[in-house]
Amino acid sequence: MPEKKGRIVVVDDDVQLVESVTTLLESVGYEVFSAHRAEKGFDLAKEKQPDLILLDVMFAGPPGPDGIEISRRIRKDPELKDIPVVMLSGVKKVLELGYDMTPDESFMPVEAFIDKPVKPEKLLTTIDEVLESRA
Amino acid sequence: MKLQSKFNLGIIVIFVVLAIGIGALSIWYVNTNTIREAKNRVQIYMRAAWEIHDSRIRKTEAALEVLARAESVEELLQEAEGERQLVVMREKLERIRQEQEADVLNVLAPDGTVVLRTRYPYNEGDNLASDPIVQQVIAEEQNSSGDIIFSQERLDTAGEGLLERVLAIGQEPRGMFAGAAVPVVRDNEVIGILEMGSLLNGGVEEVDRIRGAVFANETYEGKPVGTATIFMDDLRISTNVLDNQGRRAVGTRVSREVAEQVLERGEPWTGRAYVVDTWYLSQYDPIRNPNGDIIGMLYVGELEEKYLDLRRRAVAMFLSVVLGGMVIAFLTFYFLTRGVIKPVRKLSTATQKLSSGELGYRVDVQRKDELGDLASSFNTMAERLETQRREIEQNQRRLKNLNEELRTTNRNYMEMLGFVSHELKNPLSSAMMSLHTVKDGYLGDLTDAQEKSLASVAQSLEYFEDMVKNYLDLSRLEKGELEVHKEEISLYSQVVEPVLESLTQSLEDKGMEVANKVPEDFQVYADSNLLRVVYDNLLSNAVKYGEEGGRIELDGRRDGDNVTLSVFNEGKGIPPEKMPKLFQKFSRLDSPEHAKKKGTGLGLYICREIVEEHGGKIWADSKAGEWVRFSFTLPSQSRRSNNA
Repeated sequence: MPEKKGRIVVVDDDVQLVESVTTLLESVGYEVFSAHRAEKGFDLAKEKQPDLILLDVMFAGPPGPDGIEISRRIRKDPELKDIPVVMLSGVKKVLELGYDMTPDESFMPVEAFIDKPVKPEKLLTTIDEVLESRA
Repeated sequence: MKLQSKFNLGIIVIFVVLAIGIGALSIWYVNTNTIREAKNRVQIYMRAAWEIHDSRIRKTEAALEVLARAESVEELLQEAEGERQLVVMREKLERIRQEQEADVLNVLAPDGTVVLRTRYPYNEGDNLASDPIVQQVIAEEQNSSGDIIFSQERLDTAGEGLLERVLAIGQEPRGMFAGAAVPVVRDNEVIGILEMGSLLNGGVEEVDRIRGAVFANETYEGKPVGTATIFMDDLRISTNVLDNQGRRAVGTRVSREVAEQVLERGEPWTGRAYVVDTWYLSQYDPIRNPNGDIIGMLYVGELEEKYLDLRRRAVAMFLSVVLGGMVIAFLTFYFLTRGVIKPVRKLSTATQKLSSGELGYRVDVQRKDELGDLASSFNTMAERLETQRREIEQNQRRLKNLNEELRTTNRNYMEMLGFVSHELKNPLSSAMMSLHTVKDGYLGDLTDAQEKSLASVAQSLEYFEDMVKNYLDLSRLEKGELEVHKEEISLYSQVVEPVLESLTQSLEDKGMEVANKVPEDFQVYADSNLLRVVYDNLLSNAVKYGEEGGRIELDGRRDGDNVTLSVFNEGKGIPPEKMPKLFQKFSRLDSPEHAKKKGTGLGLYICREIVEEHGGKIWADSKAGEWVRFSFTLPSQSRRSNNA
């Protein structure tokens, strides 16, 4: 087995999606951990200290923080603030939620957006780019 | 003016005109007839008066005839002058004269010389041949009678008291004498003449007899209805006309007018005469002596007052009947019209109420005639209108309910659609993800056949994805969730860029280039989310239907109050006959190329809805076989559009 290219935490409430993303990433050599709730995702990140976090924007089910909120928390957390976050959502969706894109203090610190449905090509390319730029 | 007043006025006018007309006519008629009637009557009275006057004379004449046959008379006349038994005869004859109530009874010789007078002082020897009555007897040896004038001399000679009697009446020393004379005939020879008669002056018998016979001594309000007068010339010598002291008005004179007509022209005068102090319906006839000379007048008069009053009463009664009739007619008319007008007014009120919307109002008119029919028709009509309105209201309510239901159903449907579409997204994502993972070789190499098979699955999923996206947009559209939140946005960074990014892979796959002519700081006044949907659809179409390796151009410019944006791509374009239906729901171009590509036919419809919600317009230009350009306008902020 080739060396792990890196560690990734995937946070999304769509179980099917998480599974197929995990399969894909593992097939190219990443180590993948996943959570289905935003808070759980945060805890998992703290625990696993990944190289990249894949984060969904909206989580169905009982009320709680959404992806944007979590990404902000990540940015504020000393242990996590340097970990790049990639959003599993289109800009459209983010904007629909009412977040505006003008950069200011409350600007969500997200490296990239990947629209759903996720194309494997796009996912891998984006992750590569982000990790490269961080390297 | 109200109907009733109109009617009343009309009928009053008619009545007044009628009343005046009838009144005038009747008064004239009554007057004319009364006058004529009066004249006729007076003429009749006059005839009667003459009859009475003449009968007296005739009675005298008859008496003389009897006397003329008496032997004593014959003896008297045939004896020689000196031997006449005058005294004895005188006594006898005087007694007869007094029985006859005559003033004069004379025996005359055949030549007219007075043989014997029967009145003190018994003058004799004078000749009376000039006396018209005597004259006639002498001339014709026949009876003669009539009225004559006695001169003063004759009065004197005729006997005591006569002149006095005459003078007592007036200054005229003349008298009127009515009498007769008959010849005394023996052996066909006139041996003498008998004359008898009376002086009319101061007499009362004849006039009173006239009054009694003709007028039956009737009185009216204390006044005698009838009067008679004998005039000597124009002097009243015998009358029962009373003066204002109640005495007989002898000695007064007649009016000039009457005197002229009767005495001078010899024509009877008929008419209203003011006699002493009262009006009488009168006639004056001339009295002629046997020679034909007019010596006086005979007068009869009827108290006008009685007839005046009668006439007045007649007219009054007539008029009051007419008036009463008119009043009754008017009242009848009034009640009749009121009887009509009241229901008419009721109907008028009812109609007003009806036209102002009170459909529950009914007319209460109980009649069996046309008005009753009208009223019941009205009520029926109102009933029907009310029912209709109720039905209409019912239908409206039903319609509203149905509408509500429909809307709710639609909303439910749309919500469900939206919900479903939304829910479909996730499994779709995962499926595609997994599919691509396998298809693109990340889990190992694939045989050609496997790759082909997966490719087709991928296409189906893509189509599926398109559909889901479109139905989601549609549901939001139809739900009316398309609330346009316009704001000034940067076209490129907020709208175009994100969309292009999501299409990067497809663009690459087809080798298409995007040329953006829109300046980076180009601002538009729009809802960014919705605009993104528009660009998403237009650019997806451009990629899907555009030529491989072809060019896509984005353009935008400001145009006064609008901005015009466009998306151009090289490709098959759109044939002109397909243009009209391009933006309709579920419209798809059915060329073989287009049919191959899967699509929902909703994309352009959604674009149009969004653009129009912004107040803009969208259209397409195309050169079939070469290119197509979709353009749309958006109003600037200054021109606020109405989102109907």
